[in-house]
Amino acid sequence: MAKVILTVDDSASVRQMVKFTLADAGYKVIEAVDGRDALSKLTNPVNLVITDLNMPNLDGIGLIRQVRANPACKGIPIIMLTTESQETRKLEGKAAGATGWIVKPFATQQLLAVVKRVLG
Amino acid sequence: MIDKYKQAFQEEARELLVELESALLELDQKRDDREVVGRAFRALHTIKGSGAMFGFDDVAGFAHNLETAFDRLRNGQIAATADLINLTLAAGDQIKTMLDEAAGRGNVDHLRSASILAELQELTGLSDTRPDAAHLSPAAPGAPGVAAHDWDIHFRPGPAVLLNGINPLLLLRELRELGRLQIDLDTSAIPPLGSIDAEHCYLAWNMVLTTTVEPEAIRDVFIFVEDDCELSIERAPDQAASAPDAPLAMVVAVNPPALTAAKPKLRDAAGPVSQGAASSIRVSTEKLDQLVNLVGELVTVQARLSEVAGRRDDVDILDISEAVDRLTAALRENSMSIRMLPLKTTFERFRRLVHDLSADLHKEVDFTIEGADTELDKTVIDRLNDPLVHLIRNSMDHGIETPEARRTAGKPPIATIHLSARHAGANVLIRVSDDGRGLDVEAVRARAIEQGLIDPATRLSEAEIFSLILAPGFSTAREVTDVSGRGVGMDVVRRSIEALRGSIDIASKPGEGLTVTLRLPLTLAIIDGLLVRVGEAHFILPLANSLECVELTRQDILDAHGKHIANVRGEIIPYIRLSEYFQMGPSRPEREQIMVVETEHGHYGFVVDQVLGDHQTVIKNLGRLYRNVQVVSGATILGNGSVALILDPHRLVQNVVQSGSQNKRSDGRNARHNNSVDRHESARSNLSVPKGQE
Repeated sequence: MAKVILTVDDSASVRQMVKFTLADAGYKVIEAVDGRDALSKLTNPVNLVITDLNMPNLDGIGLIRQVRANPACKGIPIIMLTTESQETRKLEGKAAGATGWIVKPFATQQLLAVVKRVLG
Repeated sequence: MIDKYKQAFQEEARELLVELESALLELDQKRDDREVVGRAFRALHTIKGSGAMFGFDDVAGFAHNLETAFDRLRNGQIAATADLINLTLAAGDQIKTMLDEAAGRGNVDHLRSASILAELQELTGLSDTRPDAAHLSPAAPGAPGVAAHDWDIHFRPGPAVLLNGINPLLLLRELRELGRLQIDLDTSAIPPLGSIDAEHCYLAWNMVLTTTVEPEAIRDVFIFVEDDCELSIERAPDQAASAPDAPLAMVVAVNPPALTAAKPKLRDAAGPVSQGAASSIRVSTEKLDQLVNLVGELVTVQARLSEVAGRRDDVDILDISEAVDRLTAALRENSMSIRMLPLKTTFERFRRLVHDLSADLHKEVDFTIEGADTELDKTVIDRLNDPLVHLIRNSMDHGIETPEARRTAGKPPIATIHLSARHAGANVLIRVSDDGRGLDVEAVRARAIEQGLIDPATRLSEAEIFSLILAPGFSTAREVTDVSGRGVGMDVVRRSIEALRGSIDIASKPGEGLTVTLRLPLTLAIIDGLLVRVGEAHFILPLANSLECVELTRQDILDAHGKHIANVRGEIIPYIRLSEYFQMGPSRPEREQIMVVETEHGHYGFVVDQVLGDHQTVIKNLGRLYRNVQVVSGATILGNGSVALILDPHRLVQNVVQSGSQNKRSDGRNARHNNSVDRHESARSNLSVPKGQE
């Protein structure tokens, strides 16, 4: 069974890139446009969440906190997408329970390497 | 491929620019609206981030400066002036021309870009913080060194590592890709079992990695955890590299198969038969049956061995007996799993049946299947086909209305039949549900009275009334079908299911549909049981439904004021005292034990004199005389050669609840063990407890 990855980003092009890259590598990718949308999609089994931090409605940090507080999915790996200017946000995300991070911009190989690191 | 992304980015960036523009115009109206500033910031942020990713470096750099300005605006460090808004609007247009140029339309006026940035600096007091190219382009991996070195790596992840979604195993696997890795697991921090928190990681690893890569690359593997773990990466002294044999005695070399072996093994045990033709062989069912019979005999002999070993009190024999015990259990599980098949093929066959029937009957039906991967003993599956055909036919024929009738009733014209299977303890539940016209309780009741199946004075619950359609006398009455929508040959279904030691439940709402649930045992041969003693007799309770054993003291009984309920850690649990149920005499030990069992009526307790322990139970069928004994599902032979009856907790509870509800409605679920239960059951219990057994 293909592992399921949820990509959460308000940018359609980032979602698309993540989706194409990971789908090519054999993962099943589902998309969410913000944290709130992501929570609704987490009711189905998901193996990994890749989330942006800046999003409307519910941002990445809020999403991480809610996932970690939910017994049904609290142990799943969460990777956040950060930018080099967001060092404090990164620390905030780590404190909230993020598994890892990728600094934007990133190349497809970096994405695959990080996904492999936390998902096997 | 990258062009496809570029196209997507172009479209998205243009949308974002529109968003930016509308946010800016709104901001012009409401100068201190944080929400609107946030929208503009996010638009710029995304343009920057995605732009850099897809190679639009000029766009990204330009947007970066604007983003910085808006970040300050967002934090209240600068104010939203008309100048800033106008400048940002102009900057947005400038980004649009950059996008146009990238798409091959027109040229960018670079002077204008520079002047906008200069003006921005003036307004915000910021210098050009445009990140350099090295930052924007993905980091290049470090060039590998030439000579291989040994690195001593000590890694102890923080306790919360698992909660944050890190799997340390994967990190070790990644390390192994860098070179030859020897791993020594340090389990010294594991606390006693009682204080283990299953979500904490107590392990540490000491590793020797022989690799040519730079230490940074090794550290990079741990980048996500290095802040909250103990990690040391040190160059090993050279003599260790030249004489690797010495420490090897302490060190376990880990090969890929060794790390991954555990999981596939479990899978193999679960379904070797279903794994496809390539890796399977065909074996006749007879041989399988023979194998299971032999394993059954072996289990019985093993029980004798345990018994004898226990009596001898000889450490050597006990040791052997325990080893044999483990092996038999594994062998048993293995041979049972060989007989397990997924329900898929059986279930899928019904698609055709529904298809054909819906054409014949001019009904439109959507047939859905769930849990087709559920595995069940082959013998059970084979004998399940006919009852299921019967149930589905009934649903199609009588339950589901014509599309016109459904429309008049306000239902969607296409009906659904849902077939599902799932595990529940040692049972598998198979459900056939439809959204047809359902059963009319009163009509069924009236018909049952008419046929003399029940007395008009009896008060029955809905479930009890529905179960009447399973009675033999109810079967072929055609005209009932027109009233109730059901009732043809249901007793046939019931007999086949009961032959499999299963049971049937019917639930229905008039006009909304009907659900028939078949509860079937996973296997017909050997189960895990719990051996208990009541007086002089031994009984087996299936382990799969058992939750826990607790003591029931005299005081507990006094506290309950004669009611058969116990307080188990705050939960009120009704119980059935087996010695009373089976009328086994008044003697009652000082301390009794309650086995708490999960049933459909909630948690129920069974009070026994003593719980003796697990028992691999080979199920032997009872003779024909005892066929109607509902509460006993079979018997087994104990190590000392005596017989223990296997109880069916589900049935026991059902009987008590039902007789309780018939005789004392007000008592509800309470399993008060009044005399009426005994009277009601006496005929059966006398049969089911052969007092002269010992």
